[in-house]
Amino acid sequence: MDLIHVQITDGINLYVKNIDKFKTISINTYIHNYLGKDATRFALIPSILRRGTKKIKTYKDISKFLEGLYGATLSSAVYKRGERHIQQYKLELAEEKYINEDILNVGANFLKEFLFNPLIVDNGFEKAYVNQEKEIQKNRIESRINEKTKYAVDRCIEEMCKGENYSIYELGSIEDLNEIDEKNLYRYYCKCMNTLPIDIYVVGHVDPDYVIQLFHKHFNVEREKILSIPETAVKKSVEKVKYVTDKLDVTQGKLTLGFRTNISPNEKAYYPLLLYSGILGGGPFSKLFMNVREKSSLAYYASTRLERFKGLMLIMSGIEIDNYQKTLDLILQQVEEMKRGNISNYEFDSTLKAVRTSMNAIKDSATQLSDFYMSQNIAHSNDDIEDFINKIEKVAINDVVRVSENIKLDTVYFMTGRKGGVANAGNMQ
Amino acid sequence: MQEICNKTIDEKMYFAEHESGLKIYLMHKKGYTKQFAIFATHYGSNDCKFIIPGENDITQVPDGIAHFLEHKMFEEEEGSIFEEFSKNGASANAFTNFTTTAYLFASTDKFYENLKLLVNFVQNPYFTDENIEKEKGIIGQEIRMYEDDPNWRVYFNMLDALYHIHPVKIDIAGTIDSISKINKEMLYKCYKTFYHPSNMVLFAVGDIDINKSLKIITDNIKEKSKQGTIKRIYPEEPNAVNKDYVEQKMSVSMPIFNIGFKDTDVGYGGKKLLKKDLSTQISLELLAGRSSDTYEELYNEGLIDNTFETEYIGEIDHGYSIIGGQSKNPRAVKDLILNKLANTDNFKEEDFERIKKKFMGRFLRAFNSVDCIGQSFISYYMKDINILDYLDVLKEIQYIDIINRFKHHLNKENSVLSVVKP
Repeated sequence: MDLIHVQITDGINLYVKNIDKFKTISINTYIHNYLGKDATRFALIPSILRRGTKKIKTYKDISKFLEGLYGATLSSAVYKRGERHIQQYKLELAEEKYINEDILNVGANFLKEFLFNPLIVDNGFEKAYVNQEKEIQKNRIESRINEKTKYAVDRCIEEMCKGENYSIYELGSIEDLNEIDEKNLYRYYCKCMNTLPIDIYVVGHVDPDYVIQLFHKHFNVEREKILSIPETAVKKSVEKVKYVTDKLDVTQGKLTLGFRTNISPNEKAYYPLLLYSGILGGGPFSKLFMNVREKSSLAYYASTRLERFKGLMLIMSGIEIDNYQKTLDLILQQVEEMKRGNISNYEFDSTLKAVRTSMNAIKDSATQLSDFYMSQNIAHSNDDIEDFINKIEKVAINDVVRVSENIKLDTVYFMTGRKGGVANAGNMQ
Repeated sequence: MQEICNKTIDEKMYFAEHESGLKIYLMHKKGYTKQFAIFATHYGSNDCKFIIPGENDITQVPDGIAHFLEHKMFEEEEGSIFEEFSKNGASANAFTNFTTTAYLFASTDKFYENLKLLVNFVQNPYFTDENIEKEKGIIGQEIRMYEDDPNWRVYFNMLDALYHIHPVKIDIAGTIDSISKINKEMLYKCYKTFYHPSNMVLFAVGDIDINKSLKIITDNIKEKSKQGTIKRIYPEEPNAVNKDYVEQKMSVSMPIFNIGFKDTDVGYGGKKLLKKDLSTQISLELLAGRSSDTYEELYNEGLIDNTFETEYIGEIDHGYSIIGGQSKNPRAVKDLILNKLANTDNFKEEDFERIKKKFMGRFLRAFNSVDCIGQSFISYYMKDINILDYLDVLKEIQYIDIINRFKHHLNKENSVLSVVKP
């Protein structure tokens, strides 16, 4: 069950976990970058790679190849973990015993081709592909407003972290897209592939020695000096609470509160913080669920979310526009209750058990396992799931109360209707 | 217990029927940390008109009542049932769709206690005037949330365009106005009619002891006899679509669209439905999947992006295909697709064979996750299908079945376009 780690070449690390309960083999590849001025270009690369490789020149043919490989799937995503920008490529292959083919070899070879040998025309990417994908990325950036619930959270983070790199949207900006062409994007891509740290996680019923041999064969590429990614700054004091309102065509108001926790991802205080967030808004046992939803019928959802790698905590809720002040007061009252130590044994125990359950459940998903190990790496922690659970179980109610001192309200964001307004925004200092 | 095996994917499940008529299916997944159980009734938002067993008159209830009932089942005289699950570290949940209401939990510990809890709370309704009024505010906000969701709206507007009178056009949660009419008596009436074990199924999966699980279930079912037939009254839906175009203005960056195709070959479940379901899904892949000419053309012309998806929903009494996504020009997308459909000779049998392989892979993947197995099992069960028959039925499908679906289902007459635009 152990995770085996080998370095394939400079800055390419392979991790293998042999588990025989899954019917597929998952290969998750993470390419790490610093979240900054290159965000837009970096986010565009996966879409361009998907359009064609040297051998398989079109997206259609790549799709056909994967379908023929017993419905293998390749998906990509770009997201933030603190001020670290990550491209993730997930290749999932049917396990060999179901199909009698050396599918792992075919898969690893294809992954290498996909990542390192894209289709090149005159020292650049295919111009038409780049133009199309730029247009699509522009549409994706603009269509953020479609999903109001997520957009409200994104907007709160943006306002809260103004001036910090964390406020950069994971797909970058439309202005930066205008600067990109097939030549300069290709140059930037080469720089990424030569200098960025790459982690590959293979999880499934495999022979680890064979996997290592395969990746040595396919991924033994020449690289330059590998970029070392700076740590994300998580400490920030709050001078004054910001109140932000956006007016959109919505029938329901979206209230989002952003807090600074001032706790780093691997600090001892992180574990009580995780419980703090759970007790406040982590499930049907939480203070927000009980008070905002069940007792007051103000909302269908009222919950918290931690941004572990930036030291943020968010509270989100969808409410009747006229209930803004009432809901805000009630939420802040729950935060105050935490500070006063008014936490029942039921709230505490339920949260602890819920965290334990969700940590244990990671063992049943190859991708969640890969994500867990990758995140632990970023946090400079060698803790496995069991170690993580042990640390959680050592936390006492007092530790949670102590952590509440760290947590400072930074931004109150409200998305309201075009007609509605905010009754005299907030009076909390 | 009866064993149901599938050697190809190396999975088996056990089946037993309780004297009350409850169907019980249990599946052992060795090495899994998580357990998942789901207790479902064949009752959804479509069941708004029915005759209660033993009565003669038709009962009609307000829109959204099945979903309302689902919310209220979590309340017991002693408090919230969520609390009991939370004490065991389990996460409980529920959902309501057109045909089904299901209660479920996922756990990694105390599985048998949780199973007992699940069986008992679903058999124990507790409604008061007060707790019903309280829920109206909560569900009101749930309805509002969906009102602001353009993907949900484009989908329901499409259903409204496809159907004249079928209840599938009614929003699952109802409206703020329709739920305001819901009272205690109505809820008890719906409960008594549809929550009899003979109208229900229980499925559990994980690294669990099959006999012990079965005993817990059978020991805790209160009913000892079967119920008479519930007569569900669905209106006679004409074959033609209701209207071929519908649009709504919302706060979106660019138009979102759903092209719908109404299925007129309906009225059966079982393997026949599964075969039709898979044939239709394969047809949609050939027509507009990632490896199709259509997808490539639309993409290269800048008419679609990677939000473009196809799907078939096939229930016993209704069904439809959806092709949807974002586009600056949804009409042009629909025109190009109808053009392709006008000449099915362009599709190739070799592509069909490859897509079949893709579906095999997809099926295998579904068995990686206990939640996914549970959800899929229930969804198929409500159509009289056992999920383990999937591969056998898939193998049976011939190219001619695909051509038939192109001819009789995916055609201009059956099609509508729903658009949400800025």
